Amino acid sequence: MNATDAPLYFFLAATTRAVVVTEVNAPPPNGAALAALIARVASAQDRTAFAALFKYFAPRVKAYLRRAGLTPAAAEEVTQQVMLAVWRKADHFDPAIAGAASWVFAIARNARIDHARRQRDLPAAPDPAEEPQAPSAETLLLTAERATRLHKALAALGPEQRQIVQLSFFSDTPHTAIARALNLPLGTVKSRIRLGLAKLRDLLEDAP
Amino acid sequence: MIQHHPAPETLLAYSAGTLPAGRALVVMAHLQGCPHCQAEAATLDALGGALLETLTPEPLAPDAFARTLAQLDTPAPPAPRRQTPLPQPFGLTLPAALHGTRIGRWLWLGRGLRYSRVRLPWAPEANVMLLRVAPNRRVITHSHGGAEFTQVLHGGFYDATGHYEAGDLAEADEHLSHQPCAGPQGCICLAALEGGLRLPW
Ligand SMILES: [Zn+2]
Repeated sequence: MNATDAPLYFFLAATTRAVVVTEVNAPPPNGAALAALIARVASAQDRTAFAALFKYFAPRVKAYLRRAGLTPAAAEEVTQQVMLAVWRKADHFDPAIAGAASWVFAIARNARIDHARRQRDLPAAPDPAEEPQAPSAETLLLTAERATRLHKALAALGPEQRQIVQLSFFSDTPHTAIARALNLPLGTVKSRIRLGLAKLRDLLEDAP
Repeated sequence: MIQHHPAPETLLAYSAGTLPAGRALVVMAHLQGCPHCQAEAATLDALGGALLETLTPEPLAPDAFARTLAQLDTPAPPAPRRQTPLPQPFGLTLPAALHGTRIGRWLWLGRGLRYSRVRLPWAPEANVMLLRVAPNRRVITHSHGGAEFTQVLHGGFYDATGHYEAGDLAEADEHLSHQPCAGPQGCICLAALEGGLRLPW
């Protein structure tokens, strides 16, 4: 799918300010198409592109936040903040440094941390994404194919190790969650995580 | 040449956002000086992104998109103001990770040992400090109630687990009892302690 002819959306403005987004026969956008959508938001404040990003990412971000233990109401609220941050920070997006999903994940993760702090009346930490960051040759090389290879590697991972990786990312208390899910003593969790990561790395390196 | 990096599961926790704030700050300081770990962290963020994409989408409220659209033109709140950097010994530039923290003055802690408290407004419970040890000075033997992460900013130190030079990150867990000794140039490091120090008396 070409970036510019990507999804076709209709905005059906109702009598209120509500806007309904309807997708017409568009397959789910791939990494390159998603990156192109973010670039269009950055360069032209393109709301159609933003609508496509919202449609794809918002329900996944909400699922992520729910897995992290946020209430449905809080997850709804924080998801909107994440999507607002996608709009505002789009000009910081550099596809040479991170893929679209990776970039949105980092925003969602930081929003999750900030939300936990807000619950305790604490301020947010400064956004590290605002710090200048030069892509290393290593990251430049990796970014192009990384997402595809990661999906393949995840699919090839054994169910137990995939669960370890998932819980590491999605649970608020990953070590306890992994110990409980796999019925392991807490003391062995660290080495299991390490094994899972090593296996994933092997799969990534073996990937064509 | 950086020899000591955060453990793989530490970088994973950093990327997942589950590392406690103090340790996360020290890891961030390491990342800012370590292209190798930057690449590792980028891969882990991409892993987070790949996992995000595999989640079963959870529908939003029907008006969620409209409510977000309505906020697009509201300007973003201003970024927090940065503290003017305090002058540091040896013309040391503090890592960018310390932006937004409140760094205290150097205080005397013992012979050849000074520290300066680093407060994180977003995590007041975090026990983070800059430590400065005079050349060849030994710090008394201690263990920790929890993990201790130390990023060397200047000079170096060694203990039974190895030599650590500027750019290295040392991870000590609650099982390690050690007596670090500064190298010939002394040592300035950024340290995060969980659970406080356990001294032998
Ligand atoms: Zn490193």
